[in-house]
Amino acid sequence: MGEIQFDTEAEIDITRARDFWGALVLIALSVFFLIKTFEIPLWGENRAGVSGGDWYNSAAIVPLFIFGSMLALSIVLLITAIRAGGGARAFSQIGLGWDRAEALRFATIGAMLLAYIGGLVPRVDFILCSGLLITALIYGFYGGHMLRAVAAATVMVVAGLFAFLVFPAQENWAAKGDDWVTLALFAGLTILVLRASQETRALRFVPLIAVTAPVVLVCAMAFGFRQNVPARGGLLFAQIEYHYYVTLRPLWKD
Amino acid sequence: MDFVLMQLAGFGGAFWALAVDPLTYLYLISSVFLGIAFGALPGLTATLAVTILTGFFGNKIPLDYALIALLGAYVGAIYGGSYPSILLNIPGTAASAATAMDGYPLAKAGRGGEALGLTTTASFIGTVIGTFALLVFVWVLLLISQNIASPEKALLALFGILLSGTLMSEDLVIKGWISGLIGLAMAMVGLDPLLSEPRYTFGWSYLLSGFQVVPVLMGAFAVPQIIEGMRHVEAGKVLALKGRILPNLAAMKRYLPTIGRSGVIGTGVGALPGVGEDVAGWVSYGVGKSVSKEGHKFGKGSLEGLLSSETANNACIGGALIPLLVLGIPGSPPAAALMGAFKINNVIPGPTIDPEIILRVVAILVMASFTMFLMGLFTARIFIKILRLPQTIFLPIVMVLTTLGSFSVGGGINDLYLMLGVGAVAYLMNLMKYPIAPLVIGVILGGLFDETFRRSLFLSDGDLSVFVSRPGAAILLTLNIALIVAQIPAAKRLFARVKGAAA
Repeated sequence: MGEIQFDTEAEIDITRARDFWGALVLIALSVFFLIKTFEIPLWGENRAGVSGGDWYNSAAIVPLFIFGSMLALSIVLLITAIRAGGGARAFSQIGLGWDRAEALRFATIGAMLLAYIGGLVPRVDFILCSGLLITALIYGFYGGHMLRAVAAATVMVVAGLFAFLVFPAQENWAAKGDDWVTLALFAGLTILVLRASQETRALRFVPLIAVTAPVVLVCAMAFGFRQNVPARGGLLFAQIEYHYYVTLRPLWKD
Repeated sequence: MDFVLMQLAGFGGAFWALAVDPLTYLYLISSVFLGIAFGALPGLTATLAVTILTGFFGNKIPLDYALIALLGAYVGAIYGGSYPSILLNIPGTAASAATAMDGYPLAKAGRGGEALGLTTTASFIGTVIGTFALLVFVWVLLLISQNIASPEKALLALFGILLSGTLMSEDLVIKGWISGLIGLAMAMVGLDPLLSEPRYTFGWSYLLSGFQVVPVLMGAFAVPQIIEGMRHVEAGKVLALKGRILPNLAAMKRYLPTIGRSGVIGTGVGALPGVGEDVAGWVSYGVGKSVSKEGHKFGKGSLEGLLSSETANNACIGGALIPLLVLGIPGSPPAAALMGAFKINNVIPGPTIDPEIILRVVAILVMASFTMFLMGLFTARIFIKILRLPQTIFLPIVMVLTTLGSFSVGGGINDLYLMLGVGAVAYLMNLMKYPIAPLVIGVILGGLFDETFRRSLFLSDGDLSVFVSRPGAAILLTLNIALIVAQIPAAKRLFARVKGAAA
């Protein structure tokens, strides 16, 4: 079924091996959600005072069609993958096209993004945590030095985990302890960047980008568009906001 | 003729109202500039430009200005993709992939300035052709669409998802369909639209209102792009630009039929639900190659080949807005992002849309295409400098922009978790060669499909013949079935045999 536009036969083989596992995951998900769908009243139940007496009234009809179709297509995909030899290759690293460097690259980026979204953004000043992310990503991936990527990811994970573990509950998110830790890690990573910039000149501008970009973006959003921004009470942003409203704004307001 | 004149008069009024407002130019110039820069940077796409700006401007400024910002970025980004195609042989966006076929050989032959001048003019004319089609046909279709009832809407939504899955798949077609089904499944989360029955919420109150469109768009389009782009790639060698960037009027005159044909093809492809500018560019290029007397020169630096793809991908913009505005079904992935902007502004595209909005959209597109044309001619060298920026430098900033935009639309951390989750799934799907556009189209059309499909059954007391007894529904059902059957290997073999026998 369909057109195949691949560079090499090997790429098709790898894709079919991945399809084998992908189809199995899809089958498992389809079955799980079909079971969950059967928990939605289908025949004869009453919900919220509305009679669900007829099958066509049920909120389960369309999901049944979706997950039923997904199950059928996943089985077709599984058969296609097995017929193309994907099943046989699916149990070997080479067959799956496993690339250690690529896996490490994905793992480090994934860890950084998870630490940023899951740990830092809700709890830590947005300028600080975004500056740290920008510094970590550029330091880690500019030039393709894997050791730097691991170091940068470690710094991000430490900052994220600290914020997440020490201030897990929402009522503590305004606390400043994690802001100071992030600031210290940001400063430490910036020193590494500046050291590396002696051999890679483009890195000289990273500290400037890491501070300027989040400051401009968050100020535009908060004061230009008057929108909510994450961690409003953060270490730096709280000061900026105070001076915007108390020191600066009266200059043109009055 | 009276009808067309009346439309032009309405357009004139909307155009004048925008033209006398100084703020229009602020948003227009900055968004077209940003759009061209996004298109010119390999790794950033038109969809991403519109998605990020939706997060940033979506519901923060009046709708008119938001539309200027989003449509300006859309037009700019589709055109901007031609810069790296011509000077680096790397398409800035998928839409300009066909442009590289002839643009790069032209630049290598020292005709880069001429190629950029022609693409600038062709993109401008293409956008105007698509916009004119939008102005005329949207009203005809709006009149027809008022007679479209729930069965037709449900089947049209399904057709959009199936068509997008079929045409956007680079591997097996069923992967495109599965992607569309995943999108549909995501749209089922939350309270159902007719009985308010909770579905798949797992006791989490955030999920009662369903998945929000903007974080899903950000996750689907931005996060995989950032993960994919954060790798060390030796910067491509930007070819030196020789010659001035000016429209070659003699060539334009000579290839006017090609430009006209490509504009019509681009608009037509754009009007198909869920099919984007990349398909428009390739289809127009393919048609041009087969009908042109100079078809053998395509791929070797043909001006006609260059004009075929560049006119079509920009004409696709107007075309893609036709189903969006008439039926609430996006014609391309960037139009899906635009749909998100309409939704967060509580504007429901479809037969009940305020006609003034359509006229303003047309006026904005014309102004954006003029702005793009002037920027293309006079500030091209700035965009050429942008080509030298490595992805590892600008993608981290895009991540911060995405996070801030996604957070500010919903105002909650949960939206960021959703964005990251969708982003991880989309990245894995990319890795396994599943197209992402059908997923997004599925998320956007899922609610419409669910509601209209069940309403059809409800009104007919469960009689499934409601999908064949109405002529429009019967045609759409036939199209859906034909689309599926045409992909079955046995049916393909049968068609090939019949075709062989007939020959």
